[in-house]
Amino acid sequence: MSEPDDTKLMERCNNGDRQAFEMLLARYERPVFNAAYRMLNSPDDARDVTQTVFLKVFEHLDQYDPKYRFFSWIYRITLNESINWLKKTNRLEALDGDTADSASGPEQEASNDQLSESMQAALLTISPDYRAVIILKHLLGCSYQEISEVLEIPEKKVKSRLYTARQLLQETLIERGLHR
Amino acid sequence: MTIDPKYFELIQADIDGEIDDTGKAELENFLAESEEGRAVYGELETLCRSLDGMPTIDPPAHLRHVLLNQAPIRAASRPSPGLLQRLFSGPALGYVGMFAAGVALTLALVDSDQISRSAFDDVTGLVGTIADSEFAVPEHGTISVDKSEVAGTVTLRSTGPILIVDFDLSARQPVEIVAAYSDKTIWFNGFAQLESSGTSVAAEAGAVTLNMDGKRRYAVYLNNPGMRPATIDLRFMADDQVIHEAQLSFSEAN
Repeated sequence: MSEPDDTKLMERCNNGDRQAFEMLLARYERPVFNAAYRMLNSPDDARDVTQTVFLKVFEHLDQYDPKYRFFSWIYRITLNESINWLKKTNRLEALDGDTADSASGPEQEASNDQLSESMQAALLTISPDYRAVIILKHLLGCSYQEISEVLEIPEKKVKSRLYTARQLLQETLIERGLHR
Repeated sequence: MTIDPKYFELIQADIDGEIDDTGKAELENFLAESEEGRAVYGELETLCRSLDGMPTIDPPAHLRHVLLNQAPIRAASRPSPGLLQRLFSGPALGYVGMFAAGVALTLALVDSDQISRSAFDDVTGLVGTIADSEFAVPEHGTISVDKSEVAGTVTLRSTGPILIVDFDLSARQPVEIVAAYSDKTIWFNGFAQLESSGTSVAAEAGAVTLNMDGKRRYAVYLNNPGMRPATIDLRFMADDQVIHEAQLSFSEAN
């Protein structure tokens, strides 16, 4: 039997179906947490933002418009909440990239891939708007059209933003001798 | 030679799998003739592969339980949560500051021996302070629990002769936790929790029994006067069944 789609699950959530909420959670907890982690570079902050995102989803179930896809709604909330978090903690400015979280976290246990760590550090050097488009494309696997839906910007702008973000990342990595 | 910007767009679209047949043909012709174009293609492709290869990380084990605990508020169509509910359903560690002073006070009292052993026969009044993970005391180990009934972490810390067992758990049903210590020279020295209710505690020789439900953060203080190596056996029970067992250890070397 196929899994119910997000819209069906949202309808069921609206009727107080806890199991539907659990299914949505199982589907989106990981991508939401990871998107927040890449935006914020802190597992603790990502956890708090994830909690806020699902609380908002839950509080605004009745405001969800089924003509839009659920993922675009929850990813938009995630990115907005992450940017709010950066504002709140005065970290909205792009960093020099040397401040990547060095605390021993789950990622370090999972992978010692230096390039991956450098990539995360490089991500912090670009502004949150550019970071968001990279996360949507490469972490969440969104198409141009889907990114356009999440960010509510025209597809043409998605392409140019993605292009600039990649250029900036490449420059940073080249500066550090990590990329051709 | 500079590359016409339209080819940059085609290169990106091709790597992203978003190119149409006409664009693909045009790009192939261009790449066949432009070494610079091939170099740009190669660099962008390498970058995109690296980005695609960034690992995802596992959310904390207890996060889903915390999130699920937010759900019933709506499902049961309860009125809007009050300030306290909002506080405790929100990001937990944001409120650490409020409790920092309490932690210091508790530890100062404990350290100063102003509290006698007998003072803790009744522990019902000891609420409102808790040791936070950012508190600068040595950490001796953390265990994770990830069961359908309860999930989260328990961390053992120490300051001088005081062992602090820090519970950060979320339970979906009533859960009983027994923290047993075989060394009879260790005695129960106090209990603190982030909320003023929700967890009950009973201390007896060699063990502390805690009962909890929902998302809770609390700490048990044990006095280990000889600062000797000690182990604390944790047993988690739900519906009178043991659902998880774990052990935390303190060694002199720490």
